[in-house]
Amino acid sequence: MPAAVRYEKATKRYGNSNEAAVDRLSLEVPAGEVCVLVGPSGCGKTTAMRLVNRTVELSEGDVTIDGESVRERDPAKLRREIGYVIQEVGLFPHRTIAQNIGTVPQMLGWKKDRIEARTAELIELIGLDPELGERYPAQLSGGQQQRVGVARALAADPPVMLMDEPFGAIDPIARERLQNEFLRLQAEIRKTVLFVTHDIDEAIKMGDRIAIMRKGGHLAQFATPAELLMAPADEFVEDFVGADRALKRLALMRVSDIDLWEAPLAYVGQPTGEVRAKLQGAEVPYPLLVDSERRPLGWLSERDLAAETVPAQPDSPLGPLLDRDDVMRDALADLLQGEAQYAAVADHQGRIDGVLSVEIISEFLASPKAKVDENSAVERPRD
Amino acid sequence: MTSYLLPLAKVGEVGESFFHERTSATLPCQAQSDHLFCFGWAKENIGSFTTPTEQHLELVLISVVIGFAVAIALALLAHRRRWLQAPLLGITGVIYTVPSIAFFFLLLPVTGLGRDTVIVALSAYTLQTIYRNAITGLANVPTATKDAARGMGLTDRQILWRVELPLATPEIVAGLRIATVSTVALATLAVFVNGGGLGVKIYGSGNLTFPTSIIIAAGIAMLMAFAFHLGLVWIERLATPWRRVAAE
Repeated sequence: MPAAVRYEKATKRYGNSNEAAVDRLSLEVPAGEVCVLVGPSGCGKTTAMRLVNRTVELSEGDVTIDGESVRERDPAKLRREIGYVIQEVGLFPHRTIAQNIGTVPQMLGWKKDRIEARTAELIELIGLDPELGERYPAQLSGGQQQRVGVARALAADPPVMLMDEPFGAIDPIARERLQNEFLRLQAEIRKTVLFVTHDIDEAIKMGDRIAIMRKGGHLAQFATPAELLMAPADEFVEDFVGADRALKRLALMRVSDIDLWEAPLAYVGQPTGEVRAKLQGAEVPYPLLVDSERRPLGWLSERDLAAETVPAQPDSPLGPLLDRDDVMRDALADLLQGEAQYAAVADHQGRIDGVLSVEIISEFLASPKAKVDENSAVERPRD
Repeated sequence: MTSYLLPLAKVGEVGESFFHERTSATLPCQAQSDHLFCFGWAKENIGSFTTPTEQHLELVLISVVIGFAVAIALALLAHRRRWLQAPLLGITGVIYTVPSIAFFFLLLPVTGLGRDTVIVALSAYTLQTIYRNAITGLANVPTATKDAARGMGLTDRQILWRVELPLATPEIVAGLRIATVSTVALATLAVFVNGGGLGVKIYGSGNLTFPTSIIIAAGIAMLMAFAFHLGLVWIERLATPWRRVAAE
C-alpha cells in the first residue's frame, strides 16, 4: 500500500551554519503520486528528499510517512521500507544482478526461494533477459544498470520510493525510454515517489505534482505541471519554467483534449453541388474526401469541385494524419513539418474525427478554458 | 665489513670462520675457491636444508599472520576514526625504515635471543605495506555504492563486511603479497639473533669462499617467495570473481 509523505516545516541546517539547506518545507505528497523536487543546484532538493529516509537528519520540523514521524523510526529499518535510487546507481560491483536485487529482501530475512521468485519477477518487470541475473553489474550497459537499480529499490515492495536524478547520467535517447518505462511501471505499482531532478522538462513529464525550490531551501511553488505552466507563482518560477512554457503545456495535452474543427466531408462520386453547399459557413474552407468508412483520403481543390461529381483521386494529398491520442506538441510539429494548414485527426478505427490547425492551438492556449481542460498527456494513476 | 659484522658473530650463529678464507678442503671441488657451485657437495648435504627451510616457513607464516591481523585491525580503526589515518601511516612508516639488524638488537633486551625477536620485528615490518594497502582499498570503494547501501538500510557494520571489505580485497591481498615476499627475504637475517631459518645456511662457516650453500639456501628462499606470490594471486582471483568477468 502506498503511503502519503508529509513535510511539516522540515528544516535542515548543516553544522553551526545559520543558513538552512532546507527551510521550513511544508508539503504533502498524496499516496501513489509522483512528486518531483526540482530547482537549480544548491536549492536543497536532494537534501529535502534525503530527510525522508534519514540519510540526512532533520534539524527542525518533521517528516511523516502515513502519519508516522520518521524521527521515531530506527534509520536502518526505516530505509528498508523505502526504495532508494540514485543517479550513479551504486550497484554492488561484487554481487550478481540477482544478488543486487535481492539485497533488501535478504536483510528482511525472506526465505531463499521467495527471494529467488521475487528477483525473477523483477528482472522480467524491467524487461531484462533472465540470463542477466547471473551477470555482474560491470557486464551491463548504463541503461540496464539503472533498470536494475530501480528493480533493487522495488524488491521489498516499499510504499515509498526516493529517486535522486535517476536518469541523469543516461544518454538522451535511453533516458526518454527509461522515463516512459518508469511511468508505465508506476501506473501499475502506484508508489509514492519523491523524484529529484534539475531538469524542468523531466519534472513536467514525470510529476503528478512539482515542488520548485530555490536557493536557501525555500519552496517557490507546489503545483501540478499544468498549474505551474499556466500560472507560475513568481518571476523565479517563470524563469525556471522557461520562456517556452506554452510549448511545454502542449506536451501535457493530447489532441483529444481540444475542440477540433469539423471539415465538410465529401464522398467519391457524390455530386459536387452537395459538397459546395456544405462549404457554406463551414469552419474549414476545404472539403475532405473520405471513403465509405469515413477514412480520410485527401483534400479537394477548386478544380476538383469544378467537375460534376467528386473524383476518386483528390487534387491535394491528405498531408499529416493525426491520431486522437497524439501528444499535442507532436501534432503541432507534424503540422509545421508537413507545411500544412490543416491536419485530419482520426480515431482508433482510422475514421475522421475532426481537423486540427495551428490556429486552433493558439486560440486554445490563449483561452481561459485551457486552464480547466488540460490533462496530462502521459498515462499515470488517477483516482 | 669484517669489523662491523664481527661483534655479531658472538651473539648469533654466524661462525667466526665465515669471515676467514677457507684453508682446507674435504672434497675435490670445495678445494677450488673459484668453484661457484659444487654438485657433489650439494647432493651430499641437501638433507641439511630441510630443518632451516621448515623454520624459515614458520617464521614467515607466523610473522605475516600476526602482522596481517594487527595491520587490518589498525586499518579498520583508522577507517572509523579518520583522524588516526595519517598518524598510523607515519608510525608504521617509521618502523619500516628501521634497519633490520638494528631492529633485532634493539629488541634483544625485551625478547631475548631466538625466534620471538625475529617474529616481533618481521611482523612489525609487514604493518606498513598491509595497512597502507588496506586503507587505500577501503578508500577506493565508490561513494555511490556506499550511499546506495546506506539508503537501502544496511548498517555501518553490514556496509563494512558486505560491501567495503569485499571490494577492498584486491588491494588488501596485494599488500599481503608484497609483505609476504619481502618477509621471506628478511627472515634470512634471523640467524643473527639465533632465530634459525635459511640464514643459517647463508651465513654459515666458510661460505664467503664456498658459495654453494648460499646458492641453495637463496634458491629455496626465492622459490618460497615465488610460491607465496603465486598462491596469493590465486587466492585473490578466487576471492574476486567479479573482476575476472568484468575484464572479459
